Amino acid sequence: MKSQTQKWHGEIPITSQYTAGVAGQIFLAALKERGELLGSRCAPCNQVYVPARQFCERCFAELSERVSVKTSGTLKSFTCCHVDHDGKQLRAPQFWALVQLDGATTLFLHRLLGVTEPAQIKLGSRVELLIKPKTKRAGSILDIEGFRIA
Amino acid sequence: MNADRENGAPRVVRGTPVDLRALKRGKIFFTSYTPRLRYAWDTGEAISRYLEELKHGRLIARRCHRCQRVMIPPRMFCERCFRPTDEWVYVRDSGKVNTFSLCYVTWDVRRLKQPEIPSVIEIDGASPGMGILHLVKRVKPKEMRVGLEVKAVWKPAAKRVGSITDISHWEPISRRG
Repeated sequence: MKSQTQKWHGEIPITSQYTAGVAGQIFLAALKERGELLGSRCAPCNQVYVPARQFCERCFAELSERVSVKTSGTLKSFTCCHVDHDGKQLRAPQFWALVQLDGATTLFLHRLLGVTEPAQIKLGSRVELLIKPKTKRAGSILDIEGFRIA
Repeated sequence: MNADRENGAPRVVRGTPVDLRALKRGKIFFTSYTPRLRYAWDTGEAISRYLEELKHGRLIARRCHRCQRVMIPPRMFCERCFRPTDEWVYVRDSGKVNTFSLCYVTWDVRRLKQPEIPSVIEIDGASPGMGILHLVKRVKPKEMRVGLEVKAVWKPAAKRVGSITDISHWEPISRRG
């Protein structure tokens, strides 16, 4: 018999359900019910975290004060993606933006819509968040369509 | 946070348990993700031949000419002599139980009334202590013992695919007379 090596094929079945957490739940509920963006304020650190979170990452204090921030903001950074999260080539590049929403001190990550190449984007531009209509909202970060340059 | 100490006692920060009823009613938001985790494991020269022979209903081993051991499962390198092994030898599809376990749970820890009996079987024709792990059936748990003589029960040829499960299981050799 000819010597030849073979492959043994296998699959590992895994399904995960990742909950949003205490503060994430509050953030997503406000987004779903009222189309509102909630942040958490840490007064001593003078920070407003968006999305809302349970602890201040600077002083580790528990955060209970929620504040509403605007859906408008300033573009601070962006990435032009040519591959998806599996490394597969995309037909058209996707753009991702880091935006400081008005009223927040942190940056919020979401899609940047309506652009096809990096040359169309200017840092410091004013952007506006697009939220899906209430009937289409499910309590997910994808209830937000993305940012559009104002 | 557990490292924070007040009056020497560790400060306990409790987690927030998920309310299963709220989860079922869709009141708790979560992301569900099922990655496709596939792998292809290269079986190497020795195990490839071993699996191919299983498909034909045969057990094959490797002999080392220096230490004269006949090794199963086969390997291309003798770990005792630090040299390549030398030849293929067929061994029999019978053997003796070297060690066994009466296992009253499945692999995912569900209870079993009748135990499964995973056993290391020393193969006839291979060197002492050389064996493979497999299942022994058709024996009462109380009658299971080290040294029990067993024989392979093969799947029908059409159902064999080149896997260790081409042997359905092992069962005691019935003594005649």
